[in-house]
Amino acid sequence: MIKLKNLELRLPSGFVLRIDSLEIGEGEMFAIIGPNGAGKTTLLNVLGLLQETGAGALEIAGRNALVPSDRTALRRSMSYLFSRPCLVNDTVYNNIILPLKFRGEKDDGRAAGMLETFRITGLRDCNANQLSQGERHRVSLARAFVTRPRLVLLDEPFSSLDARGKEAIIADLGRLTRAAGTTVVLVTQDREEALSLADVLGVMKGGRLLQRGGPQELFSRPASAEVADFMGVETVLSGEVSAKSDNLCSVSVAGGALEVVSACEAGEKVLVCVRPEAVSVSKAAGAGSMRNQFKGRITAAEPWRLEYRLSIDCGFSLLAAVTRRSLDELGLKPGDEVYASFKATAAHLIRR
Amino acid sequence: MQFILEGLQKGFSLLVSGDAEVYSIVGLSLLVSVLATAVSVLIGVPLGGLIAIKKFPLKKLVISLVNTGMGLPPVVVGLLAMLLLSRNGPLGFLGWLYTPAGMILAQVIIATPVITGLSLSAMQSLDREFYRQMLTLGARQWQALWVCLKEVKLSILAAVIAGFGSVISEVGAVMMVGGNIRRQTRVLTTATVLETQMGNFDTAIALGLILLSLTFLINTALTFIQQQKAGAE
Repeated sequence: MIKLKNLELRLPSGFVLRIDSLEIGEGEMFAIIGPNGAGKTTLLNVLGLLQETGAGALEIAGRNALVPSDRTALRRSMSYLFSRPCLVNDTVYNNIILPLKFRGEKDDGRAAGMLETFRITGLRDCNANQLSQGERHRVSLARAFVTRPRLVLLDEPFSSLDARGKEAIIADLGRLTRAAGTTVVLVTQDREEALSLADVLGVMKGGRLLQRGGPQELFSRPASAEVADFMGVETVLSGEVSAKSDNLCSVSVAGGALEVVSACEAGEKVLVCVRPEAVSVSKAAGAGSMRNQFKGRITAAEPWRLEYRLSIDCGFSLLAAVTRRSLDELGLKPGDEVYASFKATAAHLIRR
Repeated sequence: MQFILEGLQKGFSLLVSGDAEVYSIVGLSLLVSVLATAVSVLIGVPLGGLIAIKKFPLKKLVISLVNTGMGLPPVVVGLLAMLLLSRNGPLGFLGWLYTPAGMILAQVIIATPVITGLSLSAMQSLDREFYRQMLTLGARQWQALWVCLKEVKLSILAAVIAGFGSVISEVGAVMMVGGNIRRQTRVLTTATVLETQMGNFDTAIALGLILLSLTFLINTALTFIQQQKAGAE
């Protein structure tokens, strides 16, 4: 659906967006994630034909998107939602059929279908400016999908919603796009939002696409420290592969040695990435299959969302995530001696 | 105080007596200013909208020029229009000097920057993303601009009121271009100046009060429409 090559865009602010290659398949849900200032919205504006590109080639639905005369026709095959729903001062119904009016098309029942899909049938005749934030977002989505676009671009569309509202809309959106086979490109800073919607993720930082892949790949095999950092890999240790047997690497880190399944070779300098969720904590040494087991002391226990983050000093710093229930059952608190374990397959090496 | 009361009395009697000359002056005043405002709206509103939404070199300079135009001295505009329309001027072939058409042209030059500037300001008060959102919904540029202008229609109406106010009450331009010819190019403002110069203060006051009343009535009607729309929203 989208093929972007050799994009180089310099903005007056000095920011440079540089994408060597990006392909998004038909029907794919692609989430672009990254910190503020990464260039996510700028990239989306390029795909939405709102931003002139400098150098590069862009093909959308098999057509050259850089030909100015084709721009309106291409824009009419896609929809783009900004983070703030820009609704006109009119009824919900008239907002939803606005794209049809622009195309000179009549409403053949599509608007009613969208009202139902996004559960806003009861708001049909209400003025859009009198709706709540969540309702405005639903109207905006209904308006974006009424033309049955092949491509939908979403720029942090749920950023102003509360958790519950977000969850409900994401579920409705996911059902609709999967049923219709719509290609979706979503920009978000929220990893969980990306995970719940996307088939493929792309991590951006500093105007570059650092890594593209499935959610599992990005979480468990980040290609660089920057990607690891953004994906929430919180234990990152510098080390060196001291030995390798089959695909099992022994890695020396300050204060210890780890075993990690990896393609790295002996002598390579690496970063060892371990997700907090992959670390098990117990009061007694375990006899399980985990190759990595370290005795350490809890230095801090901090609540984080629905869990607790334990900082454990094993000679090196290791972060573990435990549920509140586990914390209470084990009676874990700072100062306690514990055993922290993780599998060789749960850690990941990044070459330095 | 006596002057004003006499003026009020005279103004009232001029109107109810159906004085042909007074009605001719009032009619011409309205014709010239309403037409000039209408033409200025047709030019100024889309122009203000385009300047607001488009990116182009020297945009800030253009906006400065528009804002400067809002304060153009009418007598300077009149001089400019006169030079343009004089027999040897570039528009002399139109034969508009000392005619209502020439007066309309002069008032368009006065009102257009006012309406352009206020329309531009109204558009800039809209969410920056609004115009781009309309484009992404498949609108052509003119469709997107039209929707944006509808969103700020209350402010546009205020621009129209201001534009009309700037021309119905000006005297310098219409005096220079129209020549204040009886029953041809005499309007309320020029007639008031003439009567004052002749020492006919009661007539001058009467005409002035008629002008005030006319301006008040028209602005009240436009304001009523504006506030009704505001209330509906």
